[in-house]
Amino acid sequence: MDYRKCAQEIYDLVGKRENLISAAHCATRLRLVTADNSKVNIKKLEDVDGVKGVFSSNGQLQIILGTGTVNKVYDEFLSISGMTAATKADVKAAAAKKQPLPFRMVKALGDVFVPILPAIVAAGLIMGLLEGMTKIWPDMANSGTYQIFHLFSNAAFVFLPILVAVSAARVFGGNIFLGAVIGMIMVHTDLVNAWSVAGMLEAGQQIPQADVWFGLYKINLTGYQGHVIPVIIAVWFMSFIEKRLHKIVPEMIDLFVTPLVTVLVTGYLTLTIFGPVFAQLEEWVLIGVQWVITIPWGIGAAIAGAIYPLTVVCGIHHMYNTVEIGMISNTGLNTWMPIASSANFAQGGACFAVALKTKDKKFKSMALPSSFSAFLGITEPAIFGVNLRLMKPLICGMIGGAVGAAVGSMFGIGATAYGVTGLFGFLITTKFVWQYAIMLAVSFAVSFTLSWITHKDKPREEDAEAEAPAETAAEEPALPSITCEKGKVYAPIKGNVIPSANIPDETFAAGVLGEGVGIEPELGVVYAPFDGEISSTTDTKHAIGISSPDGMELLIHVGVNTVAMEGDGFELFCAEGDTVKAGQKLMTFSIDKIKAAGYSTTTAVLITNSDDYAGLEIKEGACNPLDCVITIKE
Amino acid sequence: MKSFTYTITDPVGIHARPAGILVKAVKPFQSTCKITKGEKTVDLRKLMALMGMGIKCGDTVEVTIEGADEDTAAETIEKFFKENL
Repeated sequence: MDYRKCAQEIYDLVGKRENLISAAHCATRLRLVTADNSKVNIKKLEDVDGVKGVFSSNGQLQIILGTGTVNKVYDEFLSISGMTAATKADVKAAAAKKQPLPFRMVKALGDVFVPILPAIVAAGLIMGLLEGMTKIWPDMANSGTYQIFHLFSNAAFVFLPILVAVSAARVFGGNIFLGAVIGMIMVHTDLVNAWSVAGMLEAGQQIPQADVWFGLYKINLTGYQGHVIPVIIAVWFMSFIEKRLHKIVPEMIDLFVTPLVTVLVTGYLTLTIFGPVFAQLEEWVLIGVQWVITIPWGIGAAIAGAIYPLTVVCGIHHMYNTVEIGMISNTGLNTWMPIASSANFAQGGACFAVALKTKDKKFKSMALPSSFSAFLGITEPAIFGVNLRLMKPLICGMIGGAVGAAVGSMFGIGATAYGVTGLFGFLITTKFVWQYAIMLAVSFAVSFTLSWITHKDKPREEDAEAEAPAETAAEEPALPSITCEKGKVYAPIKGNVIPSANIPDETFAAGVLGEGVGIEPELGVVYAPFDGEISSTTDTKHAIGISSPDGMELLIHVGVNTVAMEGDGFELFCAEGDTVKAGQKLMTFSIDKIKAAGYSTTTAVLITNSDDYAGLEIKEGACNPLDCVITIKE
Repeated sequence: MKSFTYTITDPVGIHARPAGILVKAVKPFQSTCKITKGEKTVDLRKLMALMGMGIKCGDTVEVTIEGADEDTAAETIEKFFKENL
């Protein structure tokens, strides 16, 4: 079938771009959110070649296309409508195509990392605190609680390739679960843990090997714990062949041929080519770094301090432990640690400057904890989340790190152990307290100042995109958030409050469904009257049941006899089981349509379990949304 | 334990008003009254839960009554269903 034609016809029948808010798809259906569902020609949609069915549910228009077809129509649909799908790489890539390759690569790296930052920030902070605390109280390392916390702290790093792979698959437009599989292959428990390799070699143990490519060469069966770049390369490749295969493989067998071939090919290439090549590069970098730091007069240290963050980007920094162990056993002083510490602290400083200066609240909320994590010595969040994406802070941080490392080298600072940097570094540099403090201060001051001067907030295109749909709801002003008090019902609708006994319907007036109030609505929007859970909705969309955590049950029944309107004029924005916050929009209704149908618009707001309470106190008269209208007397 | 099945004939199904009246009709009895549609069973005394069932015209439901006054309760409730729902 002609996917393009199918997508084009759907696009025309749903009211084109101006009526579309978002588009997504599941295994069989194209799911569209439209600004106005009445503009959608459902009858004609059903006749489109390829469409197997159409229905609208909870404000979402679902078009059934079938497995193997829906994703192809979706791709065409995106290209016709010009919509940006957050999870689709194609569109993003198109926007980024004008930039030079290195910038595109850095951007991809940032896009991959941002969604997984919360996981890394959590792990990073736990790890930093935990390592610091064991340096203060060495006995703690033997406690069971420490061991459990230690699991929490490194789980995200040990399995980082899986997180990275899932995120990368989203960015590159591959299937995220296949991406996860590639990530899992790279840290499979049957492979030797990458962090144990150095220890095993030292102990003279053999690293298990495997013949590959029909005996052409051997690879070490080692995992890629903590790695980033090889994972991204692997998943990029995976997404590439997966998308290719979707195009070539006939629809009938697409579902099993494509994943099978994708995993086999990508997995094999990853473990036999991408991984080993990268591991070799890492080794050379390590040798290079060891040579660089032998350059005297602080110059070597400065260079190492500058390039340190770049090695973090590559995930090689975990291997520096071998360098540090060597130094301690040779001279008793770990002179690598001050270099790493300056570099980390400087990245934190640069990130901190951005956090303070940016006006973008979301960005600020991410940059601030990222910088704290860096001060404790875990820089991934700051580097990937902030500095690398903006580029300038990364460079400012590199300069700060270089200056700090040079200062540290001139003071001759050395640590007596390894494993911690940043603020906790004081614990292992007890002979150089003030020198270490000066070094950190210099790193911070240089990077913070440079970063503060150079950082400017860019107008972000994504924000402009996000604001567009909000405009369509302009007539419904956003409500301030309120703190709910127990036993209080806040007005769900703007209008005039009357006692429930005056509702023009004998069932409601008699209190059969419970006591409460009636609201004669002025505006057809229903907001959640308290924090709670939606306990019932109906197919006719005109009534909502909501219950509060302390057991209050409330029925909001819009209009009288409106069940007979069978949903016409009503739109629900919540579903049964949803947790809602006071002031959240639950429903819109058309006052005109209810009047035209000949019914009263008076909306019953009733506490259906009012028998459980001593009584109610109601506030009559005009009300705005979220004015308190009912108070329960226990 | 007493039980009966019934197919709803009220065109709007067990919605707010019918549900309200039904709950009121059940309240006076001591017995535990439950209503089942498909795999979902709820207490007939709980209005929200009852409405959450989304029982429509044409749906067949099973009502079970268990307790001291189950005989009179079953009789009254079945009569209520036939007359009102």
